[in-house]
Amino acid sequence: MAGKGGATPSTYSPSPTTQKTKSLSFGNDEVLRPDDREWHQCRPAFFQIGVVAAAAGSAYADFGSTKVIVSVFGPRESKKAVMYSDIGRLNCTVSYTNFATPVRGQGSDHKEFSSMLHKALEGAIILETFPKTTVDVFALVLESGGSDLPVVISCASLALADAGIMMYDLVTSVSVSCLGKNLVLDPTLEEESHQDGSLILTCMPSRDEVTQLTITGEWSTPKINEGMKICTDACSKFSQIMKSCLKGFDSALEEEDSNVD
Amino acid sequence: MGEDSEWVTPGEVLGKASKFKAGRGAYVSPDNLTVYASLTGLRRILSPPPDSPDQRPTVEVTGHKAHGAIPEPGSIVIARVTKVMARMASADIMCLGTKSVREKFTGIIRLQDVRATEIDKVDMHMSFHPGDIVRAVVLSLGDARAYYLSTAKNELGVISAQSAAGATMVPISWTEMQCPLTGQIEQRKVAKVGG
Repeated sequence: MAGKGGATPSTYSPSPTTQKTKSLSFGNDEVLRPDDREWHQCRPAFFQIGVVAAAAGSAYADFGSTKVIVSVFGPRESKKAVMYSDIGRLNCTVSYTNFATPVRGQGSDHKEFSSMLHKALEGAIILETFPKTTVDVFALVLESGGSDLPVVISCASLALADAGIMMYDLVTSVSVSCLGKNLVLDPTLEEESHQDGSLILTCMPSRDEVTQLTITGEWSTPKINEGMKICTDACSKFSQIMKSCLKGFDSALEEEDSNVD
Repeated sequence: MGEDSEWVTPGEVLGKASKFKAGRGAYVSPDNLTVYASLTGLRRILSPPPDSPDQRPTVEVTGHKAHGAIPEPGSIVIARVTKVMARMASADIMCLGTKSVREKFTGIIRLQDVRATEIDKVDMHMSFHPGDIVRAVVLSLGDARAYYLSTAKNELGVISAQSAAGATMVPISWTEMQCPLTGQIEQRKVAKVGG
């Protein structure tokens, strides 16, 4: 303890945010969130596609301090060990960088994220279009700032679209946290550590279909209803941003092409 | 109507299934009979051929990069032989039609698929050698390991091979190739190229 409190730590680690920002006083409606957002306001979102040259498709997403990069490879030959299948396979891996979390190396305890990403995406991909082959999705969380999995899912669907994998729809995902009597949309790491429960909704906005719903903690039925409503609303807004990201890239390409012609 | 084009993203509604047929990069949802895009790209509407019984125009999405080509039954591939065994030869697929593949795919040519005639007299080692470039057709998706390839046609078989001396050999018959340096004759399942 005494060693930790020393003025010059031997290795760099970001100072915990709890000490910098004003303390959370939940239950008071006038108080805004630590980053001055409204309860039902998302962090500013930024998407970019085509960030990894070696991958078939890739995307970068940045929601406040949550930063992820997703690369898609394939379709390529399945491993020799797996059985023959008439439809394609999806293989998802979510990993954290060592420096993603305030304490180094803490992000490695998210083993379930890979299978959750797989479940969220597989319903949206038209697997029949690449029989016997595998599409690999590698997500890397560069900085964990809360709502990591929803950001990874949205970013992965953008990377799949960039790779030209046939999909029924883009997949967007948003989480809400239950803090006392308030529902906070797109919670930060600090808010997630105080939450009573969390709800992650993954949907295909233009099809109005939910591909995954994860609820943990204490929830009442009206709260779940309210939470899902907030999430679907936010998902459709994110899909607009993601669509414009895909189109922005394409229109730039189109201009280049027309110049060449 | 053919010039009507705009950029669409996966999940965007392209029209009603009663008015359009789904082409490449599009699909029909059976729930609400609506045509959606499944790729990012340029939306194009193609008029139906005048003699077709179905007079709905086809809507397709093209233009943005599609995923790398994958072998499917019936496609002509160019492959490099990697291993020749008594009953089969394995080959790495390098090109699909005129396009090179982005990822490696393995195929096997079984003894009975080497040529169309006298298939009981085929000797694998007299047909292929490791390193040969062959043109083949994909028979089926094969098993868990490899695609099944066939060279049982005149225009299929070895299209380029190196002799023991290291020179590119010249085909002299359906079953023989000759080294221009040493004059040595080697056995191959030769493909008819050109003409």
